[in-house]
Amino acid sequence: MNTFSRSALSAAVGAVILSLGGLAQAQGTLKIAIAGPTTGPVAQYGDMQMMGAKMAVEQINAKGGVNGKKLEAVIMDDACEPKQAVAVANQIVNQKIKYVVGHLCSGSTQPASKLYEDEGILMITPAATNPAITQQGYKMVFRTIGTDDQQGPTAGKYIAGTIKPKKLAILHDKQQYGEGIAKEVRKTVEAGGIKPVLFEGVNKGQTDFSALITKMKKEGVEFIYYGGYHPELGLLLRQSKEQGFDAKYMGPEGVGNKDISAIAGPASEGLLVTLPADFSADPANADLVAAFKAKNQDPTGPFVMPAYAGVQIIADAIKGAKTEDAIKLADYIRKNSFDTPIGKVAFKENGDLKEFEFVIFTWHADATKTPVK
Amino acid sequence: MSGFSLLEFIQQIINGLTLGSIYALIAIGYTMVYGIIGMINFAHGEIYMIGAYVGLLVITALGLFGVDSISAILLATLALSILVTGSYGWTVERLAYRPLRGSPRLVPLISAIGVSIFLQNYVQLGQGARDVSMQPVLTGGWRFGPEGDFQVYLSYMQVLIAVVTVAFMTSLTLFIGRSRMGRACRACSEDRAMANLLGIDTDRVIAVTFVLGAALAAVAGVLVSMYYGLVNPFIGFMAGLKAFTAAVLGGIGSIPGAMLGGVVLGLAESFASAYLQTEYKDVVAFGLLIGVLLVRPTGLLGRPDVEKV
Repeated sequence: MNTFSRSALSAAVGAVILSLGGLAQAQGTLKIAIAGPTTGPVAQYGDMQMMGAKMAVEQINAKGGVNGKKLEAVIMDDACEPKQAVAVANQIVNQKIKYVVGHLCSGSTQPASKLYEDEGILMITPAATNPAITQQGYKMVFRTIGTDDQQGPTAGKYIAGTIKPKKLAILHDKQQYGEGIAKEVRKTVEAGGIKPVLFEGVNKGQTDFSALITKMKKEGVEFIYYGGYHPELGLLLRQSKEQGFDAKYMGPEGVGNKDISAIAGPASEGLLVTLPADFSADPANADLVAAFKAKNQDPTGPFVMPAYAGVQIIADAIKGAKTEDAIKLADYIRKNSFDTPIGKVAFKENGDLKEFEFVIFTWHADATKTPVK
Repeated sequence: MSGFSLLEFIQQIINGLTLGSIYALIAIGYTMVYGIIGMINFAHGEIYMIGAYVGLLVITALGLFGVDSISAILLATLALSILVTGSYGWTVERLAYRPLRGSPRLVPLISAIGVSIFLQNYVQLGQGARDVSMQPVLTGGWRFGPEGDFQVYLSYMQVLIAVVTVAFMTSLTLFIGRSRMGRACRACSEDRAMANLLGIDTDRVIAVTFVLGAALAAVAGVLVSMYYGLVNPFIGFMAGLKAFTAAVLGGIGSIPGAMLGGVVLGLAESFASAYLQTEYKDVVAFGLLIGVLLVRPTGLLGRPDVEKV
C-alpha cells in the first residue's frame, strides 16, 4: 500500500514536472536522469552521486553546453530499493529521457538496467560494483567504477608480491560479494606461488570466532585476507587481539568504513583495505576540487568523481559522435576514450572500464586511513 | 593440518564452554515455559536481544558517569537488564498467551511469532537497524603453556561468564527445588489442571515462569554484550534457534537438560570449527540434534512424557 501510494505520488509529481518542463523548456535541452537514493538508509552515497553529476552539468553548461544545447539534470530517487528503481526506470522511459547516470546500489541497478537495454536508453552507473551487471550481454550499460573482481587481484598481488606470508589464511562470509572476492584473491596468490593454508567461510552474523582463531593461531598463520563486510571482520580483529593472536588482516572496501574502528577499537590499527583511489588528491583535478570547495561540498567521497565522469562522458560522446541517438552513442563510447576526473577512461565490450585502480590503504584505530607507500 | 595438540584441544574446550554457557542460559527460558504449558515461546530470542541492548546501553551510560569498577558495572547492568526484560517477559505472557489459554495449540504459537516480529521491528525503529558496538570493559587473562609456543589463553571475561552462569543456574535450581513457588512450578509441570484444582494459582505460576526465563535471557544478553561488544536487532533469531536446539537436545522440559544441551552444543560447534571447517559448525550442531533425537526422542535428559492434549 505504502509503496503503491509512494510510486503513484512520484508518478503524479513526475507528470507535473514533465508538463511544466514542456512549457518552460527551450527548444533544445538534453535531459540526463540522475537516478540514485536521495532518501533511505544509504542516502549519503546518493548525495555524493548527485553532487558530482550536478557539478558536471553546471560546468558543461557554463562552457556553452553540448552542440549549442544545455544539459538538464533530472533527479530521480530510487531509495536503493529494487522495486522503486524499476518504477523510476519506467518514469525515465515515459519521459523520453535518453541518458541515465545511475543507479547507485547494485541491487537496484540490475533490474533497472533491463528496462534501459530494452528501451535503448544509455546508462552509466558511477557506483554499482557487482560484476553481474555487465555480464548480462547488454549494449547500453556502462560503469565508471571498478568491479568486485578487480579488487581481489589488487589485494592478491600485494599479498604475494610484497607481504609474502609463510602462512596465509583466506576467510569469507559465504555471500556473493565476500566469497567472490576471496576466490579472486586465492587465484591471484596461487598464481604468485603462495598456497593458503586455510580457505574457510564464516556465517554472516556470526559473533563467536574463538575456535577459528585458536585454529589459525596453532597453525601459525601470519596473514589473513577476509572477504566480506565490517561487522564480522571487526569481531574477528577484536577476538584475535584478545587471544593474543597478532596476525595482520586485509579486507575489501566493504570493511573500510568507520564502523570497523567502532567495533574493533585499537585492534583495527594496521588493517589493510583496498579502496578506489582518492581522485580529489590528483593534482589534475585541483580546479574541480576548488569548485566543490567553493560550494562548501566535499569532493572526497568515492562516488563524486565517477558521477561527474558519467555526465561528462555522455556530453563528450554527443559532441564527438554528432548525434543524440543513444544507441549510436553507446557504440561511440565503446570505441573511444575520454579524459575525465577519474583519469583517461576506455571501456571494454561489456561496458566495464578497461582499467580501474584500487589502492591499498592502512586503516587506523581512529577510523582514518593512509595509502600504503 | 599439522598434528593434534593437547594445548589447542584445551583452548577449544574453553572456547566451547564459554559459548555453551550462553546457549544454556537462553535454553532454560525455552525449557521452563515448555515444561509448564507445553508450548514454545517463540518470542524468547527477542527477549534475549532486548537484554543485550539494555546491557550495552547501561554499560555505556555507566562509562559516561565514570564508573569503572567491574563488580559495580556487572551488578547494576544485570539488575536493570533483568528488570526490563522480566517485564517484557511478563507482558509477552499477558498479551500473547493468557488471552489464548485453552485455544488450540497453534494459536498461541502464531501470536508468539507475532510478538517476536513486533519486538524485532520495535527495537529496530527505536534503536536503528545498524550494529551498535562497545569496547570491552573487562580485558586481560591468564596464559598457560611454554613461552614462544602455542599458549592456552583464558580471559577474565570467560571466567566471569562461567561464574555468573553457574551462580544463576544454582539459584534457579534451589528456587525450583526448595521454594514454595518452585514447588508450585513443579506441580504445574506435572499436571496443570490438577494443580489448579488443588488451589494453585496456575496463571501466576505461568507468569513467574516467563519472567524467570526472561531474567536468564537477560543475563545471557548482558554477558554477550560485555564479551562480544556488538548487538543489532536481529541477533535474537539465531541465538534463539541455537538455544532452542540446546533445549531439545538436552530434553525439552528438563532444566538440567537445557544446561547440558547448551554445553554440548557449544563444544560441538567449537570442535567442528577447529577440526573440520568453520562453515560446517552449524551442520554439525544440527546434525547432532537429529542424531540424538533419532536414538533418544526425548533428548539427553528428558523423560518419556504422556502426550499433552
